[in-house]
Amino acid sequence: MRESLRARLLLLHTVAVTIIVTLVGATLCYSYWRTLVADLDRELTLRAATIVGALSPAAPGRFDLALPQDTRDYFRMEAPDQAYYGIWTASGVVVDTSDPDQSIPRPDGVGAVTRGDRREVVVTGPEETLVLVGRDLSRVRSEVQSLALAIVPVGLVAVGLSFMSGWLLAGRALAPIARMSRTARAMADGEFDARVPVDRTESELGQLAVSLNTAFDRMHGAIERQQRFTADASHDLRTPLAALMAEADWALGRPRNLEEYREALATCRSAAARMSAIVEGLLELARADADDVPLQVRRTPVEDVVHEAVALARPVAERRGIRIVSQVERADVKADPERLRQALSNVILNAIHYNHDGGHVAVSAAAEQGLVTLRVRDDGIGIGEEDLPHVFDRFYRADKARATVGGTGLGLALTKWIVERHGGTVACSSEPGVGTEFTLYLPSA
Amino acid sequence: MRVLIAEDDASLANTLRKALREEHCAVDVAPDGDEALHLALAIAYDAIVLDVMLPGIDGWQVLERLRAEGRHTPVLVLTARDGVADRVRGLNLGADDYLCKPFELTELVARLRAMTRRASGNPAPTLTLGPITVDTAAQRVRRGNQLVELTAREYAILELLVRRRGTLVSRSAICEHLYAEDDEVLSNVVDVHVAALRRKLGRDLIETRRGQGYIVDA
Repeated sequence: MRESLRARLLLLHTVAVTIIVTLVGATLCYSYWRTLVADLDRELTLRAATIVGALSPAAPGRFDLALPQDTRDYFRMEAPDQAYYGIWTASGVVVDTSDPDQSIPRPDGVGAVTRGDRREVVVTGPEETLVLVGRDLSRVRSEVQSLALAIVPVGLVAVGLSFMSGWLLAGRALAPIARMSRTARAMADGEFDARVPVDRTESELGQLAVSLNTAFDRMHGAIERQQRFTADASHDLRTPLAALMAEADWALGRPRNLEEYREALATCRSAAARMSAIVEGLLELARADADDVPLQVRRTPVEDVVHEAVALARPVAERRGIRIVSQVERADVKADPERLRQALSNVILNAIHYNHDGGHVAVSAAAEQGLVTLRVRDDGIGIGEEDLPHVFDRFYRADKARATVGGTGLGLALTKWIVERHGGTVACSSEPGVGTEFTLYLPSA
Repeated sequence: MRVLIAEDDASLANTLRKALREEHCAVDVAPDGDEALHLALAIAYDAIVLDVMLPGIDGWQVLERLRAEGRHTPVLVLTARDGVADRVRGLNLGADDYLCKPFELTELVARLRAMTRRASGNPAPTLTLGPITVDTAAQRVRRGNQLVELTAREYAILELLVRRRGTLVSRSAICEHLYAEDDEVLSNVVDVHVAALRRKLGRDLIETRRGQGYIVDA
């Protein structure tokens, strides 16, 4: 592809230069020709005037011609400079010619004309005679030919130079494109940190390189998130699976009493429940990704959502001695109330899970500048700086092993999706050891 | 056999403890990396089952530091993650074996036994001491051709002494080998078991060094 683009550019360029050179050359030659012919015409006209001056009527239809010597010499020149003259009366009778052996065709009228290889000038003389002076054009022709011949090599050099410079320029211009396509191919082959080298960002190609690199960064990021998701998902599903299998193996390993079987079944059940929660969360997210979730959006008072979410979370909090307080302003959002409640619940549960026993969780709702802001603040263990940007990623857990803390690692991802689907945004700020604050911004109704 | 299980999933840890106890192992459980390392350095375990994803310091670091301290305790690494990368990393850091979750319990037990056999320098499952044959896989003892009935503890002490034949094994070492951290141990229980072994297998089998310990095949 690159070759033919370069070749096409080059071809176009060379053809254009060739045309220009040819046009200029042709114009030059034509112009020269015209100049030479004009000079010749002037000369012939002069000679014709001399002849007219030398003509004197003698008798009716008869004239005397007293040509000066130089004029007579002029008309005696040999080819190719041969000049000739002819004089006719008004009625067409030949009065005199320079060479009686040659017949000169009688002119039709006055003026300058090219007849074949010759140029002829015709003027009127005394008593309406016609005086014609003509000359061979061979010399003029050969002059112009010499010029043309001189121009040709220059033209060829010009075309040659333009060809070479065009080749180089095209190469230099297209090289960055070749680099870009190599980088793109590397990315496609799985080399996800390949980037286009950018030397000058102002040029159009520089801009293109920057844009490409940004696109590649996004792609790389997405692929990394995908890989991390797969790794985390497989870990999170395999852990309860291992517990279930080991317990089942143990129960079946030898004959057991009823109590042991009951215990084993209970363990298997809870492992299955854990996996079920993860699978449900995954399905939700898969549906969300496919945009397959119908939202029943209506004018929803945000205080109802908060109250319900807090009420659901209270038993979980009480088990750990954690207090939940809520402070709600009356405000309405355009939302699917159940989904919004789910989004808020996930955040509240998060605040409980990552908190100390006896800690506090504060939930508030306020209307601020056309938005409804839901805040969940806790005084729990906090989130570190490196983890903060990933807190809404699927399966992300700050301390990667906290399988036992509770939750599926998908709650916040779902919250983010729900809020964004409603046209809002989520935010999180935290100080390790002090606490965390999650904020959900929703457009008000 | 004294085994440490470093696993944060309480359910799985519990199941493993149950199962290994039935295989006559003394089992301790560490729910995080710090505890696991602490225990591994403090106690001479016969084997460690190590989950790589542990809270606190992760399994990799526990393994690294354990080996850095010059401990050769056989370690079997457990992981739930995909990929060869983890397996290779584990083995390169000094693990002796590897299992992916979910696994078959019987396989875990078998690998643990194989690992400890290799570590004790005698990969063959059967140990012989004169007329006494100890089948470590089936955990059975024969005297000549006669099968000898031993309790779990008696067997454990015998296997330990035979594995360390020619070496003096102190009473505290035997206790450490036999009992988990949270087991209640009576002070003279070892003597009682050794006496039982002598009764069943012959007076000359185990020699007592007063104040120091026991030895076979001196």
